[in-house]
Amino acid sequence: MPAKFDLSDSSVVVIVGSGAGGGTLANELAQKGISVVVLEAGKRMELTEFKNDEIGMFGAFTWLDPRTTSGSWYVAKTSPDLPAWICKLVGGTTVHWGACALRFQEHEFKTKTAYGDIAGANLLDWPIDLKELAPYYDRAELKMGVTGTHGIPRLPASNHGKVLFAGAKKLGYTKYMTTNMAINSVPRDGRASCQQTGFCVQGCTYGAKWSTLYVEIPKAEATGKAEVRSESQVLRIEHDASGKVTGVVYADRAGNLQRQKARLVAVAGNSIESPRLLLNSSSSKFPQGLANSSGQVGKNYMRHMTSTVFAIFDKPVHMYRGTAQSGIVMDEARLDTKRGFVGGYQMELLPQGLPSFATNIVPGGWGRDRASIIDSYANIAGVWLIGEDLPRETNRITLHPDRKDKFGMPIPNIHSDDHPNDLAMQKHAFAQADALYTSIGAKRTVHRLPFPSTHNMGTNRMSEKPADGVVNRFGQTHDVKNLFVSDGSQFTSSSGENPTLTIVALAIRQAERIAGQMSKGEI
Amino acid sequence: MGLFDWAGKLSRRGFLAGGAATIAAVAVTGTTILADPKNAAAADTTGLTAEESRALLRFTRDLFPHDRLDDSFYAKAIAPLQDEAAKDSAIRKLLADGIAQLNASTMASAGMAYADASAENVRVAAIKQIEGGAFFTKVYGDTITPLYNQPELWPKFGYEGASSAQGGYLHRGFNDLDWL
Repeated sequence: MPAKFDLSDSSVVVIVGSGAGGGTLANELAQKGISVVVLEAGKRMELTEFKNDEIGMFGAFTWLDPRTTSGSWYVAKTSPDLPAWICKLVGGTTVHWGACALRFQEHEFKTKTAYGDIAGANLLDWPIDLKELAPYYDRAELKMGVTGTHGIPRLPASNHGKVLFAGAKKLGYTKYMTTNMAINSVPRDGRASCQQTGFCVQGCTYGAKWSTLYVEIPKAEATGKAEVRSESQVLRIEHDASGKVTGVVYADRAGNLQRQKARLVAVAGNSIESPRLLLNSSSSKFPQGLANSSGQVGKNYMRHMTSTVFAIFDKPVHMYRGTAQSGIVMDEARLDTKRGFVGGYQMELLPQGLPSFATNIVPGGWGRDRASIIDSYANIAGVWLIGEDLPRETNRITLHPDRKDKFGMPIPNIHSDDHPNDLAMQKHAFAQADALYTSIGAKRTVHRLPFPSTHNMGTNRMSEKPADGVVNRFGQTHDVKNLFVSDGSQFTSSSGENPTLTIVALAIRQAERIAGQMSKGEI
Repeated sequence: MGLFDWAGKLSRRGFLAGGAATIAAVAVTGTTILADPKNAAAADTTGLTAEESRALLRFTRDLFPHDRLDDSFYAKAIAPLQDEAAKDSAIRKLLADGIAQLNASTMASAGMAYADASAENVRVAAIKQIEGGAFFTKVYGDTITPLYNQPELWPKFGYEGASSAQGGYLHRGFNDLDWL
């Protein structure tokens, strides 16, 4: 039974956002008997509302609120109004994610040590390491049912995977497999197994893919300790004279402003909305924004070096059939700074249905050349190249000086300039993917520069010293003891891996910290 | 353009005022137009002239030229634009002026109106002169999704579309590749 808390109830933990971080934290806290109110800006959808419809589902749950962009990055040119491709609904981007669930590698927590000083980058070691996070990775994998871990069988290879693996083998790679996926390969946790529908990104109609929408949140509600208020956008976090946070002001679904009191606030709105909220919560006590004595709130925005190679064969592939991202080549993700760049990248399957492929393959392009790619659709394979991008102070989220959303909250601007290291990695990755596919007979390859970002990280980063970042090793802000950050904005570096598993592991660990400090009366 | 162009489009259509309901309305309108073949025919009677509609169809085909598709697919792709031109005189003027420019260009180079210029290279040269302009951008942005999001078109490219109701591709060829 979902709980119902009073607005004046100051004993509750308020969580802003219900995605991988917020949704997981809500359930972990509720299981420990802690009262939780989740405020989610988007609406609540049911599994039965998901359709195998790329365009329709894009319109149904993408975060389309106004945003602006600046900087030299490709997305600012081709998609200036939509810099990130993430979701606005209960469950957040776990509704749309590809479910690739990878752990960070050891050196990726210590990038300043591993890579040294790099001009134009703001590298910093995480205050935690892989060993410290490993038990929480275990718990996250078990919770999410990650294939290839803890005896959970891997998913079978699709046609699209077979092509990737054949090319990888020919090229001499050795670390290729169906990916560790948070998608049931066998029925588990009361949910069905994957039916290879191919529409992971449009919302898994079978519920085989882990999402906080239908896994963590219903479990949290079943404890009687959690209430989820959808269509409730938090505008400000409030504090008292001592600097402790006391609650939040939000716009409810009718557009009315409400004030929810809180014992503690956890911000999990993703790496664009979380810093936006902290910056918008400035006060005479915190003139630079809440928890921003370091000046790092909003800075070090990371989005991964992402690019895609599509390869055209003379025989059918049917890349759209089957689990979308269920194939990976991990050889290039290694620590090897002798390739002309630091950091590594993964090569992951990236199929597209025809509507999405045809409208996005060459943005703005027209005529015979572009059409000939689409004419070959059935014979195309695609691989997404995702690699570590470096934190830069100048890549950042700021509040727009003039433009406001419908609730009067300044909209965010996302500024990003590619670091030369990102471009060197991209060049290498394009060449390797071309070689992989041509080695097994691809007639032509097509390079697609980054789509709007699906991985957004780093804008409230974790640091040992308060001067270097926003939160400590538990995601607790250095400046305000009862204010936490629970999403990917905590990341100190981006790694070459998809961020979700790490967000979930950190949320599980953070719940222990919150429960421990609350029981001792420290917060 | 395409999928990722929606954010801008929605805010221009009053997303700020309308909120989530507007998103739903836009999504639904798109499907309705595609599902209702009467729209294309109805729009021919107002707004753009038949000649202009013919040129608009030819232009859309030149932007996205697939020999395997007959004109009916392009007619559906331009139907929303024809509707808009019938309701909004500024859009009508933008389209008519753009078409007039294409016509002037092919007249000068080949002595024929754009839609009558049978040589593709003549038409392509005319498009290159207006590439990136307001008319080009409007037509490109408003026809690409209605063109490629027609379920009747997908089989012609080997795309099978929605699979959930048939039990996914688990027993329908997700791993049937045998040429490697």
